[in-house]
Amino acid sequence: MKPLHSILTALFLLAATSILQAEDTLRWELRVDGLACPYCAYGVEKKLKAIDGVRQVSVDLEKGIVHVEALPQTEITASRMETLMRDAGFTFRSMKQLP
Amino acid sequence: MTKPWFNALLLLLPSWALAHDPIFGLGPHVLYKGGVELAAEWHGEPDSNESGLEITYGMTGDWALGAEIPLDGGDAGDSDLFSKYRFWRSDSLGVQKSAAWLLRYDGDRRTPAWVHGLAWGYESRRYYGWASIRYRLPQENGQDLKPGDAWRLDLVTGIRPWLTDYLEPDTVFMLELNGEGSQRARLEGTTLARSGGRRWFLSPGIFWTLRNFAIKAGVQIPLSQRMNDPSLELDYRARLTLEWHY
Repeated sequence: MKPLHSILTALFLLAATSILQAEDTLRWELRVDGLACPYCAYGVEKKLKAIDGVRQVSVDLEKGIVHVEALPQTEITASRMETLMRDAGFTFRSMKQLP
Repeated sequence: MTKPWFNALLLLLPSWALAHDPIFGLGPHVLYKGGVELAAEWHGEPDSNESGLEITYGMTGDWALGAEIPLDGGDAGDSDLFSKYRFWRSDSLGVQKSAAWLLRYDGDRRTPAWVHGLAWGYESRRYYGWASIRYRLPQENGQDLKPGDAWRLDLVTGIRPWLTDYLEPDTVFMLELNGEGSQRARLEGTTLARSGGRRWFLSPGIFWTLRNFAIKAGVQIPLSQRMNDPSLELDYRARLTLEWHY
């Protein structure tokens, strides 16, 4: 019985940690113009992932949207995103934090 | 019949194409700042072929520098150096229009030359269009032979038949109209009658990518050839490029 209890406790702690980690990130939505092809959009992903604290990046080419998931202390500001998108070869338009 | 080397090489202006640039023509694409692109290229004609490695570095989001090193029939001294600067860019949702200026030093020891180029491009989720012009100015090479100036003109259209998501394989089909020509070469001050000429090609091609890896392939089919040496007329030309950026 004791080993089963230990396994269940470990699983519970693992699940709780995962939930806490998931809740611990903030999500952003960036409007970026010029995103026509996936091969070229790789530069956006690479630039964003180079920022400390950024956990996840995804690109919606049809909508011109870049989704960013980052730790709360990560500096995701409009001016930083503007510079970053220019360095990646695209034009930053706007951003908003998702609930 | 063996082609004189100075004639065979005259019209082979290197393409130096980045990303979604055309296969034989030029486009205005550069590389993101701090990015590195490696490309292995093979270029073939009925009785000759050559291959090379190309490395490019993104100095800024609009300026890239690079070098091309021949893998066969040359050495490091034959390497090319190039710079491409995107001086205009206009972005809207899913569309990028841009223009770039190219400068390349073709380091071939037998025919060193400067190549200037101007490229304009329209890129959208569905359609592509490019136009470019290049001019090759041969330099004094310490020999008595001087190749003639050469030019290339390219008009290209492309289509992405299937709109895929970011991480899915992506395919673009291209159709190029490539024109090229050169003046006659001069040997010890005498013009060589059997040198230079003009050609036009129709060139279908494909650009296939998966995230940051690309395969580009195309074949040039002659439409018209008015070479001053008929032995220089070609049946086809082909190009294959494997490209990876990170």
